Amino acid sequence: MTGMVAQMPDRDRKVAERVPTDWKTGAMQTRIRRRYAAERRFRFMGLAAVVLSAAFLAFLLVTMLAQGLRGFTETRLALPIDFAAAGLEVTPAQLEQRGADAALASAGLERVVDNAAVAAFGPDGMDLISDTAWIRVGERLKADPGLLGGQAVIAVPASAGVDLAAKSGDTPLDARVAELRAQNRLTTGFAWGFLTGADSTDPTRVGIWGALKGSILTMVVTLLLAFPIGVLSAVYLEEYAPRNRWTDLIEVSINNLAAVPSIIFGLLGLAVFLATFQMPRSAALVGGLTLALMTMPVIVIAGRNAVKAVPPSIRDAALGIGASRVQVVFHHVIPLALPGILTGTIIGMARALGETAPLLMIGMRAFIAGPPGGFTSPATALPVQVFLWSDEVSRGFVEKTSAAIIVLLVFLLAMNGLAIYLRNKFEQRW
Amino acid sequence: MTQVHIDTPVQPDAPAPHKMTARNVDVFYGSKQAIKDVSIDVDMDRVTAFIGPSGCGKSTFLRTLNRMNDTVSSARVTGDIRLDGDDIYSPQMDVVQLRARVGMVFQKPNPFPKSIYENVAYGPRIHGLAAARGEMDEIVEGSLKRAGLWEEVKDRLSDSGTALSGGQQQRLCIARAIAVDPEVILMDEPCSALDPIATAKIEELIHELRGRYAIVIVTHNMQQAARVSQRTAFFHLGTLVEYGETSEIFTNPREVRTKDYITGRYG
Repeated sequence: MTGMVAQMPDRDRKVAERVPTDWKTGAMQTRIRRRYAAERRFRFMGLAAVVLSAAFLAFLLVTMLAQGLRGFTETRLALPIDFAAAGLEVTPAQLEQRGADAALASAGLERVVDNAAVAAFGPDGMDLISDTAWIRVGERLKADPGLLGGQAVIAVPASAGVDLAAKSGDTPLDARVAELRAQNRLTTGFAWGFLTGADSTDPTRVGIWGALKGSILTMVVTLLLAFPIGVLSAVYLEEYAPRNRWTDLIEVSINNLAAVPSIIFGLLGLAVFLATFQMPRSAALVGGLTLALMTMPVIVIAGRNAVKAVPPSIRDAALGIGASRVQVVFHHVIPLALPGILTGTIIGMARALGETAPLLMIGMRAFIAGPPGGFTSPATALPVQVFLWSDEVSRGFVEKTSAAIIVLLVFLLAMNGLAIYLRNKFEQRW
Repeated sequence: MTQVHIDTPVQPDAPAPHKMTARNVDVFYGSKQAIKDVSIDVDMDRVTAFIGPSGCGKSTFLRTLNRMNDTVSSARVTGDIRLDGDDIYSPQMDVVQLRARVGMVFQKPNPFPKSIYENVAYGPRIHGLAAARGEMDEIVEGSLKRAGLWEEVKDRLSDSGTALSGGQQQRLCIARAIAVDPEVILMDEPCSALDPIATAKIEELIHELRGRYAIVIVTHNMQQAARVSQRTAFFHLGTLVEYGETSEIFTNPREVRTKDYITGRYG
């Protein structure tokens, strides 16, 4: 044997007689050291990436909160009013009926409040209180009609200038505000109006509820359309459709749809829903339809992957005891695929919630001073509201913009939290 | 082409008609032929074992008996397969009902990720076999008892079926199959994923179930075929080489290929 090997050409001999590996040579040791170094390097880079992204997130949240939390507060001025002397032509009985607001307005409550401000703060008094101060006084009167016959000190919202001077300073009114603060007449309170009101030109009067309600209505339309259509498409394509050129084409189209820029969906909505079907402009219904077009491909793709991941053995088991195709799908495949489908839905809905461009195209950027009444009434949405406020000249809008972003993020977190709860609830092991 | 010999059991009285008959069955996957001209009979009160090397088509043929091959879009079955004389591939045959009458137990235990009770109750429920809750309880208890699992799980029926051991899961699958009261039970290598003790329990169970159902079992394990079956069919390369009484096949095979296989010459 060895004799034969010796006669072989060099290469053949190497093939036949492999030298036993020496695992202790210097080269081997170096290789081990390099391998450990590569492991350490990779772990460090991964950790660094996580720390960096966490830092970005923390920076975003901190700046948002620092700016935005002030948006949820309002500056108030303690305004003494002598109702008995002002001679308001309203009876306590009128205040308890419907139409109390109209009665107060026609009795000249606004003038009474303005006069009281001048009396309390001097000739510039009317510029210190908000234009809506008399409404706050009216609410107080409705709550306590007995005040009509006497005097009261009521905290009314300050004007935008005072509010800004009190919160951030660097305005012409700084000195005046310092003076008022020294007199203990300035207070800060939670701006309930911000949570219940809608858009306005005065930053102290704006509210987020209009945009929030618009977003909720839009999301409801999107979810109701995109979720069932997306899930049914995914299930049909995975469980029923034959594999041929047409289904390949559909698959490619759906994947492409998921990557189409959102503004193009906006243009599509403008052309189809508004121009062709004559649907109402600026409505949550149209916004929801447009965003559903955008969300559906995401749900289809995630749904298909989730359906594909259901083990075939489960389908066999159900078919083997005589379940029909529909029973297999609804009793076994969809429940097992639901966590994955919900994950896709979260991603799609979160993207739809933050989408601005398509909504601009269908007119949801209009100035709408009241919360939408329904799906077809003019509405705006949270991201559009953020966009609109960030464009405003008045400095008071800066904090309102940040506050609106906080509301948007909280809404997003609530939506995701609900979806994660549902996903964990349906999660099954096999 | 080997001549296939089909022998009918010799009985003094008029022989009972076969439960299932297959005649000249071919199965194609696309253009590839997986089963060539197989004819076989399945009888009540008997266990029929299909043996043969991997890829010989025994599982494929088993799946034609309850039309599980329908789920494979490229599969095409020709020939004649009858259950109680009715052609199971005719348009009049309802495949859902067929699979309820011809139940199946798979190679890998595949309980639903639901409770033990729900696993067994699922079949009867979709076929409307139980009118009341109490009736369903009886079906579940009876099926688990016949599958020899009742004593082990009676106190934890609401636990997940997937939390059981492999052997228990397979018996749960058998209980699930018999809960719909089938006439034929097809078992596709039911013990290949189980340890010897669990295997012994399943074999014992097959023995007990024999009196009530026609059982067809595919197995790689020739000792198992010899232990549990009364008749054995040897498949090779998609053809049925030999079919007869198990004792005959194992002691006195007619075909050289059968002899080579059971003596371990190849396979």
